[in-house]
Amino acid sequence: MSQSAALVAVALAAAWFCAFLGAHVIGWRAGRGNAQWLVRCYAASILGMLISVTACTAGSGLCIVLALMTSGCLFVVYVPAVYTVLTSLSVQTLILLGRAGGALPEAELYARFSGRPIVADRLATLAASGYLTHEQERFRLTIRGRMIAALFARLKELWKLGAGG
Amino acid sequence: MKAICLASLMTVVLFLGVTLAFRLAPSAHRVRRMTAIYGICGVILTVLWLASPDDLGILPRSWLVAPAWFDLVLALFFFSAAYFGGVLQLYNLADRGFSLRMLIDALESPDGAIDVDRVLASYSAGQGMRWMYDKRMHGMLEQEVVHRAGGSIVLTAKGERAADLFIAIRNFLRLDDRP
Repeated sequence: MSQSAALVAVALAAAWFCAFLGAHVIGWRAGRGNAQWLVRCYAASILGMLISVTACTAGSGLCIVLALMTSGCLFVVYVPAVYTVLTSLSVQTLILLGRAGGALPEAELYARFSGRPIVADRLATLAASGYLTHEQERFRLTIRGRMIAALFARLKELWKLGAGG
Repeated sequence: MKAICLASLMTVVLFLGVTLAFRLAPSAHRVRRMTAIYGICGVILTVLWLASPDDLGILPRSWLVAPAWFDLVLALFFFSAAYFGGVLQLYNLADRGFSLRMLIDALESPDGAIDVDRVLASYSAGQGMRWMYDKRMHGMLEQEVVHRAGGSIVLTAKGERAADLFIAIRNFLRLDDRP
């Protein structure tokens, strides 16, 4: 392989990832649905990356694999950061405190973050995401939800994490 | 390709190392321990890369990355991503995932179902929602982003900087402008 082909492939992967980031943020600002928009943007960036890497490196298999690995690695580091901003209760607590001038009664924080509305909201989100089905006020696992729950239950057991949550 | 082979191998070693550490010597500071194991594995990966032939004795020439130094950079990058985006996130989800714990509670529930009242009372195998937020509060107090003052929770200087950053990000992304 030429001295620069791998560098070019990785640079193209990084550039396409930046394009994905830009599109994701623009969509977010425009109010697009989070998970669906994330996946669509990323899929489009992968397609663009594959075309440009194939064209610039004469279809080198190694370059395509390196580009896919680079993009995949950037994605797995980016997604947790996104969900931290979106869903972390600790982050939401800091934000609430920041907007309230830096202090709030402890009872108010507990009422907000361990009360009925936040549980109802999270159960509804899980149902909308296809992990739970809704029967009146009760929620049951879907096949997808059962698989995820079973997988992590086994991981918790393997790592002896206790109940956690 | 050597980068991918060695980084993958070291990720398996890291996972096994973390598993052994968690099972054989439980500690309250699991993330610190995981990160120490990641650091040790990173050093081993570098030594292994320097000590092994470019083709690992099995790779065809067309699958060798040039220049060679770039292969080492990629190996360290792939391995770091596998830790920060993979193993560490698995741990965060398994140990702290709020939604995930609800799914596991549903899985472990005798009738296979949960509702708001049950989650409130017995979230996380019977501990309840107050315990869940106690855990977050304890973490924030330990990280010194907040402190207690009378009956209130108050941001520290460090917490204020973090809050400002998150507020700026949420404002920029217009996350709070939605219905």
